Amino acid sequence: MAKIGVFTCWCGENIARHVDCQKVSEAIAKLPGVHCSVNYKYMCSEPGQAMIAEKIKSLGLTAVVVASCSPHMHLKTFRKAAENAGVNPYLVEMANIREHCSWVHSDKEIATQKAIELIEIAVEKVRHNHSLQPIEVPVTKRALVIGAGVAGIQAALDIAAAGHEVVLVEKEPSVGGKMAGLSETFPTLDCSQCILTPRMVEVGQHPKIKLMTWSEVEKVEGYIGNFKVTIRKKARYVDISKCTGCGNCWNSCPNKKIPNSFDYNLGNRTAIYVPFPQAVPARPVIDATQCLKFKTGKCGICQTKCAAGAINFEDKDEIVVEEVGAIVVATGYQLYQIGKEQENPNLAGYGEYGYGKYKDVIDSLQFERLISASGPTNGEPKRPSDGRIPAKIVFIQCVGSRDNAKGVSYCSKICCMYTAKHTMLYRHKVHDGEAHVFYMDIRSGGKKYDEFVRRAIEQDGAIYHRGRVSKITEEEIDGVKKLIVRGADTLTGRPVTIEADMVVLAAAMTPTTGAESLAQKLSVGYDEYGFLSESHPKLRPVETNSAGVFVCGACQGPKDIPESVAQASAAAAKVLIMLSQPHLTREPEIAKVNENLCAACGACVKTCPYQAITIEEIRDRKGNFVKKTARVNPGLCMGCGTCVAVCPSKSVDLEGFTEEQVYAQVESLM
Amino acid sequence: MEQQLRETAKKLLTEKTVDVVIGYGRVESGQIGAIFVSNPDEVERLVWNQECRQNLVVYLTRKEVQKLGKAAIVVKGCDAKAIVVLANESQIKRDELVVIGMICNGIIEESQRTNGNPWADSNDSSNKLPIYEKCETCVEHQPKNVDIVIGDPAAANPDTLSKAERDQKGKYAKLAKLKAMTQEERFAYWKKEFSRCVKCYACRQNCPLCYCNQCVVDKNRPIRIDTSATLKGNFAWNILRAFHLAGRCVGCGACSSACPAGIDLDLLNLSLSIAAEDNFNFVSGKELGTAPLIGTFSENDREDFIR
Repeated sequence: MAKIGVFTCWCGENIARHVDCQKVSEAIAKLPGVHCSVNYKYMCSEPGQAMIAEKIKSLGLTAVVVASCSPHMHLKTFRKAAENAGVNPYLVEMANIREHCSWVHSDKEIATQKAIELIEIAVEKVRHNHSLQPIEVPVTKRALVIGAGVAGIQAALDIAAAGHEVVLVEKEPSVGGKMAGLSETFPTLDCSQCILTPRMVEVGQHPKIKLMTWSEVEKVEGYIGNFKVTIRKKARYVDISKCTGCGNCWNSCPNKKIPNSFDYNLGNRTAIYVPFPQAVPARPVIDATQCLKFKTGKCGICQTKCAAGAINFEDKDEIVVEEVGAIVVATGYQLYQIGKEQENPNLAGYGEYGYGKYKDVIDSLQFERLISASGPTNGEPKRPSDGRIPAKIVFIQCVGSRDNAKGVSYCSKICCMYTAKHTMLYRHKVHDGEAHVFYMDIRSGGKKYDEFVRRAIEQDGAIYHRGRVSKITEEEIDGVKKLIVRGADTLTGRPVTIEADMVVLAAAMTPTTGAESLAQKLSVGYDEYGFLSESHPKLRPVETNSAGVFVCGACQGPKDIPESVAQASAAAAKVLIMLSQPHLTREPEIAKVNENLCAACGACVKTCPYQAITIEEIRDRKGNFVKKTARVNPGLCMGCGTCVAVCPSKSVDLEGFTEEQVYAQVESLM
Repeated sequence: MEQQLRETAKKLLTEKTVDVVIGYGRVESGQIGAIFVSNPDEVERLVWNQECRQNLVVYLTRKEVQKLGKAAIVVKGCDAKAIVVLANESQIKRDELVVIGMICNGIIEESQRTNGNPWADSNDSSNKLPIYEKCETCVEHQPKNVDIVIGDPAAANPDTLSKAERDQKGKYAKLAKLKAMTQEERFAYWKKEFSRCVKCYACRQNCPLCYCNQCVVDKNRPIRIDTSATLKGNFAWNILRAFHLAGRCVGCGACSSACPAGIDLDLLNLSLSIAAEDNFNFVSGKELGTAPLIGTFSENDREDFIR
């Protein structure tokens, strides 16, 4: 029988204020098998840990229960303390009498009784614990980064700089992501491309980075340290090893009127194209849905013009498999669809703003292209309908953000800042232009951020109206199309009507299309909007609950550039921690199959969210087939217990949380 | 039909296509039960008539039967679906099994039988004796997913039955009546029924899909189900068994037929089958190669509640 020691912590007065720790200790001391029951002000302190070690040694304790805070806080501390004193760390249990008890109850007597019961449960569990040994798995010292926007680029460069190979996968033809299309960046107004392109070039040149643009992740198999990733390299129709990027092809392409998605359809491109001049790789791709050769079978002019012979209309998608030890997801964001039609039926959209109906109502990323030197108007803020320079622009913030009725509940975080930037850039180009902003609140937390907004208002003359816009209509006034913006200024309590030449909508940030299906491939959680879930919002912000998979950038939540870059470096650091180990150690609290009993029905195989279970054959020494059984891969199992729940004969159990333990715990309460 | 069956069995055995034929025969008690014929000269023991009630598929997963070698098995349409589930759950290798499917227009209810007088080759549609309730809503008169069909398909009753028609008949009608009750009435009904359960586990032993090496009720560390035949333990056992068959039960009715207390156990399973069909358009045992309903996830599932 286990010799159990129970150590009750006061947590200063966090616990002691509402729980009578002395009374608890006395009650617990009477339980069978409990050889010592003491309490102390701070169990996690060095003297507290020393007390545990001393009791283990002097009384020969074989199991320990610490009644204190959540195991999330100090389980590691106490396991280590017990291990140092010679007790297997998995014979240590914690009873949470703080978060689950003292913090939520005010009646001391009742709280004390509850604390006693919580400890009784833990004692019952530890009685059924047995020693476990950590699991060691090998690690492939390569990493995969999905998405080559600024976050993905940063993560890839950091990992590569430490000397590890990185596979960088990007679904677009070039790296750069959303940042490559921005004009200037807040709060310094430095040119976005000027600061990003050196990083893009570095990624393209780095000997340790295997860059795969125009490619997508199809399938992810394996487990932490040992992933096998299937990547689809989409047919490019251009052999980029032969292509010199001379430009003869796209200059000669007769099909020049295709909306350029890089300019958010404000400008045009050819069917064979490089999305923007600084693209990496600066090699074109053929848009097979538009190319005349594919549509009609005729043309092929680019092929005749290509001196390098790089164009291959027979090109096919290629499937490659890469083995990596860690995965960083940096798939970024897109703008919320403003119009009425929504992919997500829970969102109603803003039909009343006329986006998609009135040419001069554009979104913020389109405005970025309009004022970017590399944009369709070479940086002249010409309005899309007639090319006139707008004399009055209305910027509307929170289009979709913070709107439980029609949009998303969260704040997209960057819109206040970039709208202030937009007003400045517009005023710098059109000195007598009027920039009106409709806002709900101005959120400008961040270094030099509030100063930046103040500058837009006080020095650059942006006119801010606190209120929402109810409707936008288009009317022709003196032969010129004007947008009539009807809104309210809640500070003056008056309706505001502005005859604008252009309207820019700061649409909410949403995860990029396909983020959810990628998350499913990676077994990473996501929230109701499709943002990937980190393991802990504060303490594990770049880890996910799928071991070996990390997140950074706007795929995890709305973020600006500095935050995305910082998070990318953080994710890279986590990857490097993993890759610097000779092998990985994993918690042994995983599922275990009783292979004698298992009927191999496969219910667990189908349900396991981590693909950790397979059906294997048991053979005797002579190789004769004996039976089939389910078997758990200890590298993959995350110990979620779903298999235990679905197993009809309960032939699978969760180490450290066995059915026997759970039943004993429940029974101790009855 | 009986003669046709015997000839087929003889051929299979003489040509060594199979080592054993699992079929119906007259057993010591005089009733129809399972027999295992390995000798081609003994095929005359095989019987086919409207008394052939048992689902023989239950033997396919028995170790002692597997030892007899490669098998051919005689099944009715309803039983054949259990073979599909067993194959889908990797319990048997379908291509190592010869399935002989009998055209069947229903099994005669026990009370209507003349003792010791078999209806020789009685798939005669003029036979108007009452059939089992579960046979009234049968859409498997012609067995599917089988290798050999015995009998004249033209003589089979139609395998089409509209939902509205179905819900008026047999077990479906019985279930509808139960569902129309208030929760209290329904609970009282099951309380009364389960109070008769003696925990003999005949339901489990006769179910072709209860193939676990050790049933959860037989595990004692920890004890999950009260093993004594108390009302609480009876509820726990019967409900748990129904859940273990959710999305799997093919509705062969073996459990109810076997129950010495005469409890309509298959109503529990039927209720879950209807839920599977209505919510996920899933009918167990319909197709080879489909994944079990429980434990499969499709992005198209109605799972909005997870978001």
